[in-house]
Amino acid sequence: MIPVSHILGLSAILFAIGVGGVMIRRNAIVVFMCVELMLNAVNVAFVGFAYGMQSMVGVMFVFFVLVVAAAEAVVGLAIMLAIFRSRESLDLEEFNLLRW
Amino acid sequence: MLIAFYIVAALAVASAFNILILRSPVYCALSLVGCFFLLGIIFILLNNEFVAVVQVLIYAGAIMVLFLFVIMLLNLRPDSSPRSLKFGIAKILGIGLTVGILAQLIGVFGSSAAKLGPMGEYSAQRVTEEGSLEIVAELMLTEYVLPFEIISILLMVSIMGAVVLAKKRPPPEEEESQP
Amino acid sequence: MVAEQYIPVLMLLGVALGFGALFTLLGILLGPKRDTAVKKMPFESGLPSTGSGFKRYSVRFYMVALAFLIFDVEIIFFYPWAVKFREFGLYGFVVMSIFFVILVLGLVYDWRKGALEWD
Repeated sequence: MIPVSHILGLSAILFAIGVGGVMIRRNAIVVFMCVELMLNAVNVAFVGFAYGMQSMVGVMFVFFVLVVAAAEAVVGLAIMLAIFRSRESLDLEEFNLLRW
Repeated sequence: MLIAFYIVAALAVASAFNILILRSPVYCALSLVGCFFLLGIIFILLNNEFVAVVQVLIYAGAIMVLFLFVIMLLNLRPDSSPRSLKFGIAKILGIGLTVGILAQLIGVFGSSAAKLGPMGEYSAQRVTEEGSLEIVAELMLTEYVLPFEIISILLMVSIMGAVVLAKKRPPPEEEESQP
Repeated sequence: MVAEQYIPVLMLLGVALGFGALFTLLGILLGPKRDTAVKKMPFESGLPSTGSGFKRYSVRFYMVALAFLIFDVEIIFFYPWAVKFREFGLYGFVVMSIFFVILVLGLVYDWRKGALEWD
């Protein structure tokens, strides 16, 4: 039996790496990958809770998170294609049209 | 089994950490594929085969392939700016916020995990006997049937939206490079 | 526990990775290394290579990959139903039909928009 707190620790570390990537990286696609990583860290937490509490609710939520991740990837990458078509770049520092 | 968990978890964290430091988006994507695969192994260690299969099939197999497609599509080069060691204020803020979120998550999880106990009816033995796939199937078609139908609407909207966004409008002049 | 059943898979993975690493290492250690400019060129049927290895792909590939991803997710949801097909009978069939019809609406939209056409 793996202690639940250790699974949650793994989830927290992965989530923090995702947050760090969103903060530090400048390439929009890499930032987007970090968002996927954060969603996956949440999945780990859900399955960890389901494992520790002997419940199946967490596992069901994994599927809903999965669909959200897939839909997000499809639409987000399409947005990036559209942005790239007009700006010829995916550097987040250059998307400054709405900046104050 | 505990040792296997630690090894796989360490490998997963290491390959996730690669995203922060690798310059080329393709390498980042491949390292993330590795991370997702290792998380699939962790899901097997947590008695959930179906989630593990889904993880490898969807995350590592389909979503990351889509990412790689877009990287190839946009012809993204590795970041060629010199690696700067001096930290801008944004980077310091980012790292600080990351550490803060990590501390908060560990705090919340640490306080809640202590109070947890087995309170559901699906013990590890029962999951092993019935199979996680069968249990998921039963729940999905009975208790969670409404969210399940709503999923299809989400998927439909996303496929429509992506096509609207990505499809090339009939161009007034030829500007896209031909393959 | 489920994990014990997967030990053979792990062994297979280890063997595959081990062989790959072993022969790559052997190649690096044992092979003679005499690099010339010609040898370092990417092989293009004996012709001098032109252009860079990176090439912009057409957005049509994205359209196909997109449809693939969506229907891959859909298959994941069909799978549990297929396992419990007999137990749920007509009820399961109706539930899955609604699910499927809504998804096919999206596919039909793509089709009418011409996203599935190659040219």
